[in-house]
Amino acid sequence: MNKWLRASAVLTLVALAMMVWSVLRPTPLPVMLAMSLGQAVGTAAFAIYGYIVLVDLRRIRRDARRARELDAQDRVVDVPTAEPAAAKPPEPES
Amino acid sequence: MHLDAFAVIALAGAVASALILIWYLVARPQLTRVTKLALLLGIGVFPLTTAGSGNYAGFEATKHREFCGSCHVMTPYLDDATDPKSTGLAAIHTRNAQFGEESCYTCHADYGMFGTIVTKMGGMRHVYLYLTEFRNKTLAEAKAEIHILRPFPSSTCRRCHTTSAPKWSEVGDHAALLKELRAGEVGCVGEGCHGPAHPWSKQP
Repeated sequence: MNKWLRASAVLTLVALAMMVWSVLRPTPLPVMLAMSLGQAVGTAAFAIYGYIVLVDLRRIRRDARRARELDAQDRVVDVPTAEPAAAKPPEPES
Repeated sequence: MHLDAFAVIALAGAVASALILIWYLVARPQLTRVTKLALLLGIGVFPLTTAGSGNYAGFEATKHREFCGSCHVMTPYLDDATDPKSTGLAAIHTRNAQFGEESCYTCHADYGMFGTIVTKMGGMRHVYLYLTEFRNKTLAEAKAEIHILRPFPSSTCRRCHTTSAPKWSEVGDHAALLKELRAGEVGCVGEGCHGPAHPWSKQP
């Protein structure tokens, strides 16, 4: 996951470099590169970031749900172990 | 280099974004909520600011005369337009302060609702032709071949020369051709009345 985020960061830096080049040197090649390739690379980088964050949020949510389920299971398991002792009928006297 | 407000905003956004991203790449922090928010700024918000204002600055830069003259085949046009002794129509209009640094764009841009888009598409065609045909040609070869794609529309001239000023109407040819001029059937430059716009202009 971190590998993809680092790739996204590098792609963003590449896109930014093209945009800065076009601002500092507004001739046809830099301007066209910034408005086409720069936009595409920047958008791809942001899409990667969005996807990774989405996956991470889903993982966090899944982990939380699993923790709740385990917690609930623990409660279910606790109840029967406590009840038989309380409901145990007295042994008949001989 | 034309550093207007949009260019400054674009550069500031790029610097802010680069600082965050370099920090992330060097420090390699855990993916906590703070890291995610920092990356949202570094990969999302600041680059979007740079892209938006940078694109606008780029569009504005494409209107400048130096931008048009940056392809070598346009050098003679640029030189003539900025020559204070030239009597060509382009040079006369370039000397007009109202045209400023954007005299090429002002005369060659299409108008109307989609004028800017149509003009930019035409510009892309110029770039394509430059890369495929004119890039390796000498100035003399290019000068002999370059011509306007379609007759220069009188509607472009009529944005300023409205055809309703009394002094304009005093000219006999103007009065005689008023209807045709307003209908776009007769061109100010194309018919040779006020042309050629550039000393070596050729008709399509």
